[in-house]
Order: sequence, then C-alpha cells, then structure tokens
Amino acid sequence: IETARIFDFEEFPVRDKVTYMYYTGRLEVYNENFNAADQKLSYALAHCDARKEANIRMILRYLIPVKLSIGILPKTSLLERYSLNEYADIVVSLKRGDLRLLRNALQEHEDRFLRSGVYLVLEKLELQVYQRLLKKIYIIQKQKDPSKAHQIKLEVIVKAFKWLEIDMDIDEVECIMSILIYKNLVKGYFAHKSKVAVLSKQDPFPRLNGKPVSS
Amino acid sequence: DEKDVKEITQQWEDDWDDDDVNDDFSKQLRKELEASSQKESN
Repeated sequence: IETARIFDFEEFPVRDKVTYMYYTGRLEVYNENFNAADQKLSYALAHCDARKEANIRMILRYLIPVKLSIGILPKTSLLERYSLNEYADIVVSLKRGDLRLLRNALQEHEDRFLRSGVYLVLEKLELQVYQRLLKKIYIIQKQKDPSKAHQIKLEVIVKAFKWLEIDMDIDEVECIMSILIYKNLVKGYFAHKSKVAVLSKQDPFPRLNGKPVSS
Repeated sequence: DEKDVKEITQQWEDDWDDDDVNDDFSKQLRKELEASSQKESN
C-alpha cells in the first residue's frame, strides 16, 4: 500500500482502476463514508466493461444502497435490467413512506443483504421512510385545514403506524420524532406536555440532496 | 457499449420526494386518519 503512492493512478490500465475503485468503494460502504463510496463505485460503474453484466451487477449491489442512503433512487428500469429485484420494494417503501413494506423487504432478502454486508446500511433507511410518512400526514392535514397542518399530534402518528400494523406507543413516537429533528430530517420541536409536534413553517422536511443523514 | 455504460449512469432519480398524495397508499392513509379523527370528535 505504501509503495502504491509513488505511482500515478491514471497510469494503470482501466480494468485495474475499475477493480481498485470497486474494492475501495466497498470499504467506504462498510465505513459508512457514503459520499466517498458513491464516487468510487460510480467510477467503477462508468468505466467497467458494459458487456460484463455480472460485474455491473456486483457494483450495483453496493452502489444502490449507497445512493439510497443519500436520497437517490434507482429507476425501475435499472433494477429490471440487472435483475436486482430485491431492491424494488425498498424503493417503493421510500416513495410511499411505507415502513411495513421496508421491514418486510429487509426480512425477505435478509440472507442476501447480510451476505453482501449492506443490511445495516439498508436498515438505516427507516429514518427516511419515517420522514416520508410524516410528510404525507402533513400534506393530508394541510389539504384539510392549512392553518393547523404544521401541528401534528403524536397520537395521529401512532394511528398511522397502527394502520401499518406496527405497534408503537406515544413515547416511542416521541423518541423517533426527536431523532428525526436531531438528524435534520424534520425541522420543528415538540410540545412534550400536549404531545404535539410543531413543524417549522419553512421547509419542515429538508431533503438529503445527495448528502447522507447526519450522524 | 459506450452507450450502455452511459445509460446505466443515468438511471437514477433524485427528484422523487414530491408532494403528491394521490397514490393508493396515501389515499388509504387519508381514510385512516379521517376515520380516527371522527371517532375522536364523537
């Protein structure tokens, strides 16, 4: 590794550069450096031999979880083209805010995700799914009564979870809300006594825009 | 092949987090929330 420093990366053959970026990209995934992982795996994808589908699939198996973690979704056509259907429901769960679907998808493909080592990365998508569900509740409330939309009763969130067959009490919901606020997925505060989350009137659900959820 | 690779690198959506609540999931959610808020006011 030390001697590698005296070589210029650009001097190596393309296929070696692709291999190097693939493996170092995977390392960045394990270290949860998602932006670096994105950069390296995207390089590998852009420069690999397009005829070698198996290689492309190997790169995508890591690149897709990385992209999801920074709020970017693969198109359905990509998943279909490379038979990466294990990601299809995860993508839908993020779009819907469907926590039950995310959990089911993780369970269904648990072996595969554990083997490739992306399970923990995918598990953390829960935060984005919570954000999306809250945003939907907010928009639905807003359409009914715009003046009160930025106040969400924690009880309402409990009910939404119950509908998704997820048992969570008000204290657990309060805990999730504080994590979302702390991680800047929700802007606002809550009134602990009245059990109401008060959302900021400006951009209450900030997008990730290619950045990972703050830790 | 060049074209193939180029296509893969364009297969991503970053503008999916819209305000649309007309999908089936959102419609069901709305129904659920409205049903429970009615129960409350009764």
